[in-house]
Amino acid sequence: MSFRHLRAIVRKEINHIIRDRTTLILVMVTPTALLFLMAYALTVDINHVPIAVLDYDQTPTSRAFVEQVTQGNDLDLYAQVDSLDEVNRLLVRGEVKAALIIGTAFERDLLTLRGMNLQVVIDGTEPKTGGFAVERIGGQAEAFIGELLADQLQSLGITQSSLQPINLSVRAMYNPGLKSRVDMVPGLISMVLGFPALSVALTLAHEREHGTLEQVLVTPVGRVEFLLGKMIPYVVVGLVNVIVIPAIARATFNIPFNGSFALFFLLSAIFLLAILGMGMVVGVFMRTQPAALALSFLVIFFPGFFLTGIFFPIVAMPEEMRLEALGLPGTHYAVITRGIFLPGIGLDVLWPYAVMLVGLGVAFTAVAVFFFRKKLG
Amino acid sequence: MFKRIWSLVIKEFIHLIKDWWMPAFMLFGGASELLLVGWATSRPMTNLPLMVLDRDQSQASRAVVVALENTGTFDLQSQAPDMATIHNALERGDITAAVIIPPNFDNQLASPTGHPSLAVLLNGAESTPATAALQAVEGVARETGERVTLRRLNLNPDEFARFNPSLRVWFNEALNEAYYTTPAELGLMLEFTILLFAALSFSRERELGTLEQLLVMPFSSLEIIIGKSIPVILVGFFDFLLMLGAVHFFFGVPVRGSLPLLLVIAFGYLLVELGKGLVISIISRTQHQAFLLVMMVGMIDFMFTGYAAPVESMPRIAQIVANAIPANHWLNILRGILLKGAGLDVLWPQILALAALGVLIGAFSLRYVRRALD
Repeated sequence: MSFRHLRAIVRKEINHIIRDRTTLILVMVTPTALLFLMAYALTVDINHVPIAVLDYDQTPTSRAFVEQVTQGNDLDLYAQVDSLDEVNRLLVRGEVKAALIIGTAFERDLLTLRGMNLQVVIDGTEPKTGGFAVERIGGQAEAFIGELLADQLQSLGITQSSLQPINLSVRAMYNPGLKSRVDMVPGLISMVLGFPALSVALTLAHEREHGTLEQVLVTPVGRVEFLLGKMIPYVVVGLVNVIVIPAIARATFNIPFNGSFALFFLLSAIFLLAILGMGMVVGVFMRTQPAALALSFLVIFFPGFFLTGIFFPIVAMPEEMRLEALGLPGTHYAVITRGIFLPGIGLDVLWPYAVMLVGLGVAFTAVAVFFFRKKLG
Repeated sequence: MFKRIWSLVIKEFIHLIKDWWMPAFMLFGGASELLLVGWATSRPMTNLPLMVLDRDQSQASRAVVVALENTGTFDLQSQAPDMATIHNALERGDITAAVIIPPNFDNQLASPTGHPSLAVLLNGAESTPATAALQAVEGVARETGERVTLRRLNLNPDEFARFNPSLRVWFNEALNEAYYTTPAELGLMLEFTILLFAALSFSRERELGTLEQLLVMPFSSLEIIIGKSIPVILVGFFDFLLMLGAVHFFFGVPVRGSLPLLLVIAFGYLLVELGKGLVISIISRTQHQAFLLVMMVGMIDFMFTGYAAPVESMPRIAQIVANAIPANHWLNILRGILLKGAGLDVLWPQILALAALGVLIGAFSLRYVRRALD
């Protein structure tokens, strides 16, 4: 391998990228822009859930209860309805996610300590939102009963605190509010840094499609040099994003960065080599750009999104799937980014993941080089 | 005119067949990916690694450990010998949560006014499983607490339970995760297939220099657009049917509403996405540009499919934007027909919104692309 050859190829690639301003801008900003758009919209804590109320009781107590349930930011009263049919229609349309049905004897039963005639209906197609509504309504009901019946309960020897004797002290390490945005932003880095890999697959297929590959291959440039030269500009593009992302994450969303930036930078570079190696493999096998794109969506983009543990934890996946996830560079890198951003751990803990990344990078690049025929068939 | 369009369609299919990878991916890629992803992610949160530090070693504390195991959420690792082990494991990300039972747990529980405590440490670096773990531990604490209260007050458990609201789940009684995840995953894959295919149509011809050849031939711009669109729609619709089959037969998602209605709306939705794809295609000079724009547009649309976060909890601006996203209405309709058995009488606002967007996007893209071609 000659450094001069490599430099020539890198310069050629950079010329390609720079000559087309629009593409350059898009390649540069896509990862960071999408990361923050997603962090902004995808990782919100559930609140303002619209609910419907069907109040068969229509007493001061039932109205007070509805008032208490919907006063905060958690649940919004979307509509007071008169029949189950209307509840059904609102739920089917998705206009409300839950409904509170207050039975006829709500007030009487409560005041006579017979129980609470209350039913909560949730939309099972959105279990997160529904579960949230149930939990909040249950909590409000407990508080409501406690206040309303304080005197009666006291005469029975029940105090507010004896209703829940076990103290649960919860501490979420590294992410005190257990906010999904705090771990999603570092996690999503592994997904958005996969975009340059799709670009690499595309440019390789581009050379073949336009027949410019022959021109390069008649020069004394070797295959390793050619492939590395293709990768390096995109490694640089990726690393620019790697520098920018933690800074913006802290400035906009207040995401902490507790680990070593040097380590983050180094491991990000290794990840980029591995994921770009994957892109290379795709680009080497596909002859046309549409085919290269379609395949890289199937093996790089979608798996990187769904199967690397960003949205759905690896431990909860089926056994065979966990093995496949280990073959994706993004899986290891997501552990690394979250580990460096949040607990701030170092190489002493992260080395197995780093080793896996190096291994995958070497394997993908080797496959690409091996199958990259110097002569076109 | 039809003969000319026909010849254009034939031309497109010849392109497709020449490189057989592309049609293979376009036709079967989405469905096979959906099977893989759906299989991996449509399960309840189980197997979360948990560590317990039992400093009490009493019957009561062991009962708590058994109750934690019985939730089915956890994979109970070894008992931790000390706090250092727990902190170390949390830092490494080896465990999702740790429960610490203090030494006087049993005594506090037995005393009539005692307040036994449990400490929970969560790995906040992965908030999704941590939240699931917290909910499971809260459930155990609540149940144990209720039993204690009843015992202390000598109450009948059946009577006491009546103070809790009763819960009913509609449309998904068993709270099957696949009902929730697979339609959104289908939406994402379908959208990307269509957008990508449409976006490459003109940008590819332009990059390869064959667009001029096409334009000097005796085709009108409308004929070219229709000729380009038919293969995209055919492939997209085939893809949709395949994925719908996967969702229904493989993941057991029901089709409770009218299937013909769903197919008609799916066809309309494909036209809307096709319109977007063609605009991307005509403004991109290269296939690379087209791909990057598809990425942007597709991911922005995906945010509003309700996969990771409900639209109604999003910031106000995002909610306003959501109204202009066809995928948002489409997913509401898809879920409504599949899971809720909804018909036209209920879904008309969503269908109207989708149709209005379709007319808007379609008219714009037709005008824009025609003008660019002429």
